[in-house]
Amino acid sequence: MSTATSMTTSASSRTYVEARDVATAVAAMSAGARPIAGGTDLVVGARHGKAPLPAALVGIHRIPGLADVAPTDGGGLRLGALVTHATLMADPTVLASYPGLADASAIVGSHATRANGTLGGNVMNSSPAMDTGAPLLCHGGVAVLVGPAGERRVALADLWTGPGRSTAAPDELLVAVELDAPPADGASGSSYVRLQYRRQMEIAIVGAGAVVTLGADGTVTGAKVAITALAPVIHRVAEAEAALVGTDGGFEAAKAAGAAAAAAARPISDVRGSADYRRAMAAVITRRAVLTAVRRARGESVPVPASDTTFGS
Amino acid sequence: MSVIDTPAQGSSTPERPRAFLRPDGKEKVTGLGRYTADLTFTGQLHAAFRYADHPHARIVSIDTSRAKALPGVFAVVTHEDVPDVRYGGMTQDRRLFAKEKVLWEGDVVAGVAARTVEIAREAAALVEVEYEVLSAQPDYVANMAPDAPVLHEGWAEYGADENLVRDGNVMSRYVIAKGDADAAMAGADVVVKSHYVSDASQGVPIEPRALVAQWTGDSVTVWSSTQVPFAARSGVAHTLQIPESKVRIVVPLLGGGFGSKCDFHFEAHVAILAKVTRRPVRLVFTRKEEFVAPDHRREGMDIELETGVTRDGRIVARRGRMVLDKGAYTGEGGFFAQMAAMHACGPYKLDTVRVEAFLNYSTNQPAASIRAPTAPQACWALEQHLDEVAAAIGMDPVELRRRTLVAEGDEGPAGQVFEKIGAKETLEAALELIGYDAYLRGELPDDEAVGVACGWWPCFGVPSGAYVKLNGDGTATIVTGAQENGSGSVMGLPILAAEILGMSPSDFSINYQDTDAGPWDMGSSGSQTTFNNGRAVVEAAQEVRAKLLAMGAEKLEADVADLELADGAVRVKGAPETSVTIADLAGTGEPILGKGSGEVPEAAASDASACVGSLGMESFLAPQLITHAARVKVDRDTGVVRVLDFAAAHDSGVIVNKVGADGQVYGGVMMGIGQALTEATWTDEEGRQKNPGLLDYKLQTASDGPRIQIRWIEIETPNAGPKGSKGVGEPPSVPTSGAVGNAIAKVIGRHVDKLPMTAERVWLAANSPAGEDQ
Repeated sequence: MSTATSMTTSASSRTYVEARDVATAVAAMSAGARPIAGGTDLVVGARHGKAPLPAALVGIHRIPGLADVAPTDGGGLRLGALVTHATLMADPTVLASYPGLADASAIVGSHATRANGTLGGNVMNSSPAMDTGAPLLCHGGVAVLVGPAGERRVALADLWTGPGRSTAAPDELLVAVELDAPPADGASGSSYVRLQYRRQMEIAIVGAGAVVTLGADGTVTGAKVAITALAPVIHRVAEAEAALVGTDGGFEAAKAAGAAAAAAARPISDVRGSADYRRAMAAVITRRAVLTAVRRARGESVPVPASDTTFGS
Repeated sequence: MSVIDTPAQGSSTPERPRAFLRPDGKEKVTGLGRYTADLTFTGQLHAAFRYADHPHARIVSIDTSRAKALPGVFAVVTHEDVPDVRYGGMTQDRRLFAKEKVLWEGDVVAGVAARTVEIAREAAALVEVEYEVLSAQPDYVANMAPDAPVLHEGWAEYGADENLVRDGNVMSRYVIAKGDADAAMAGADVVVKSHYVSDASQGVPIEPRALVAQWTGDSVTVWSSTQVPFAARSGVAHTLQIPESKVRIVVPLLGGGFGSKCDFHFEAHVAILAKVTRRPVRLVFTRKEEFVAPDHRREGMDIELETGVTRDGRIVARRGRMVLDKGAYTGEGGFFAQMAAMHACGPYKLDTVRVEAFLNYSTNQPAASIRAPTAPQACWALEQHLDEVAAAIGMDPVELRRRTLVAEGDEGPAGQVFEKIGAKETLEAALELIGYDAYLRGELPDDEAVGVACGWWPCFGVPSGAYVKLNGDGTATIVTGAQENGSGSVMGLPILAAEILGMSPSDFSINYQDTDAGPWDMGSSGSQTTFNNGRAVVEAAQEVRAKLLAMGAEKLEADVADLELADGAVRVKGAPETSVTIADLAGTGEPILGKGSGEVPEAAASDASACVGSLGMESFLAPQLITHAARVKVDRDTGVVRVLDFAAAHDSGVIVNKVGADGQVYGGVMMGIGQALTEATWTDEEGRQKNPGLLDYKLQTASDGPRIQIRWIEIETPNAGPKGSKGVGEPPSVPTSGAVGNAIAKVIGRHVDKLPMTAERVWLAANSPAGEDQ
């Protein structure tokens, strides 16, 4: 015999504050509020019963300056937390120097998701399936967090600790993500490719990002590879990177990188795919991401998003 | 016979100006239309359900005291608050609120009405239910084993259709038999056996269902997003034990149904809450509820087929065994075993047949009508099986179909002799549209192929009624019991009346979706609206026409035989200036009204003497014939399939409104591709849904859609709907997955034996050694 009584939270009152500057937002967060910008994770998640809407919200979408895309002093790129996916997929600098990030931004959710969803929300949601994660890691992404004690900078690799979990304190607001300067010493290209069952409204079943730099003779002099939806966090795969450096960046080298990615993967089985399938796909998708990055490094034009163009390749 | 083509993506053919844009289109696409969830009532309360906590359990006790004590709660009702009656289509096996047992995760145990939705849901969670948990029995094939516990212990006492063959967990069994299939099979040159399994899928209307109930005295009005308002009315009357005349069902704009909103569902639950609280009560489903709670999904099916052929492609024997998952309750799906068996035969010449189909109870969500129930899965299996048969005798699969498809004068599985039908014509048309010759010449890349599948679907002849009344300004109103589910079939009725009355379709308004206004109608199911209600509208319009001509004859002092109706006037033939307008005749105050039902066409004679469990569908009335051809590209390394090009050729008789009919094919093909590749309800080991949401129940999106080319093989079909028309709504999903499956098999070299043919399943099939089971 069993007696069941489900529990839900009481329909208590909620508060909403709209911040016009970072300090106000951080103060509200210190008092327990959760930040909201596009709302594409928070609101949709609440509706799906993932987590109830927080009792206190602070709107950050009107804070000036947080939606800017601007060069950094070191020649890199600073992406404000409120930059939308729609902006990222069309920004000339992103398309020219960080095309993998454009590949990812162009396939997040639907048109509506991309128009409303922000990079900051995506990063702080810490989903192992987030599309922008792998290209951000490969481009050396650093989170700029502001809390009551001031600003601190955390490499994204040190930020994400698991699904929905990060090392950011509850009262720290992400204000920007900064990316490395593109390598000055050679031709480079980046990409993001995911396994998808349909072309819109999709989430990564397996994904891979790559940044490849070629020397004057076409040899791979630098490589970064990260994999998505294959572990509790998105992470780089050193063995895949090592398999590329010194090679011609051809099919066999990309295949070796794919095999290394599959070996490093710790996939789960769920409704989207079995662990065995995901592991096999890690090899295929990583191979395609690497080959796309190499093509772009060689100056070939590969349209954004790369996932569409690599179908069947 | 005539043929009309639809060039790519639906532009209308200029020489056939029959495109009539539906009058409800603009309000729907501009957001002005009001759906049920848009209605608000003074003092309204919000409803929520407490669903079963286990897929299978005996209820020991229910305590609602904590729920009732929550501030803002107005009522909590259970089985104790409603009459102790069961309901259901061919078997009455369900109660409004579970009493002795819960039989699936969506069984309703209690209902709450409260000041807000949040309070209602919280109160529903506070209902304390004590259970004796029983083992879930989601395996619908295993449930027919002799030692399997019987889910409906008291089934022998249930009211049921006397033609159902019931046994243990087998809710219905049907055998279609023609000749001696066993002997013929033994004499065949080649015998091919196949086994295919289809998972369950869903209708997924974009509008989650919504209802509002309000009592006035002892009468109740329920605004409901239903496809079948008259069935809903009967359900409320029966379960609450009140006269049908005290129940009125009104359907505001309906945001899609695809079959899932057929049948009586939650109208009585909301009505009892409204009665107890003496307030209007509103229920709006969440997306998750829309997946989990309706007793309506496309049935899972286990299909074994065996065909014996001669080397020159004559089918001498067909044997089949099909097991269908009925789920926990019958709903309106009691006839599915028979439908499935007909689709295991298909529109082919078969010398002998023995197909057995079982409809089994399980502790899963009940299955019931979803667009062409049983047909897409059975057709998917049969059409892949036929390609296997063709391969076994070294024949092109299209050639095998050329030799075996039925034509006029041929005999169906139970002896039906077909009248004028265009099965073979649909095949040739689809081949031409898809470019099959170029494919055979090897002009496609090696990761692309063309697959072809044929199918059929019956028309359902049932009574239906309509009134046509003229208004003083010379316009007219059609009052009909028919229900518009989004297909446009009700919106197209003015075309039929306008032609008879010499008026323009835009001169008509339509009063519909209100059981107090229109005559009884079966509702938006069975592709039957134009077929049956169209006939009723024609007859009603003819009565009005006769009255107008008589009035005109008097006014114009002319003989009726010399008059015509044209351009909104009665006029003398050959002397159009001698006329009187309809507005003048109708504006006198004398009512000009016509009513109609028309004669219901009957199915062709058949010989079902050897069949078992007959439900009267062993011959198909005015069968619609379909051929689909798909060009697909398979990503061999991932198993992801894209449909690049699609041809749909249909014999639906004469097409009344081409733009509407084309729309049904576009939508039906997209739904069929979804069922083929990505749509399935995945469940845990106890049958609970794991993907009740739109992220992981993967519908196809507009971005995934191929080019779809359509050709209508127009035949003035005898014994059919108005003008020789047949139905259109369901057939466009029937052979779609079979065509896609056959194309995939041509690329990867083997047939995927599970539906949907997901990327992972295609990948497994493509990468497993030949001859090895997946």
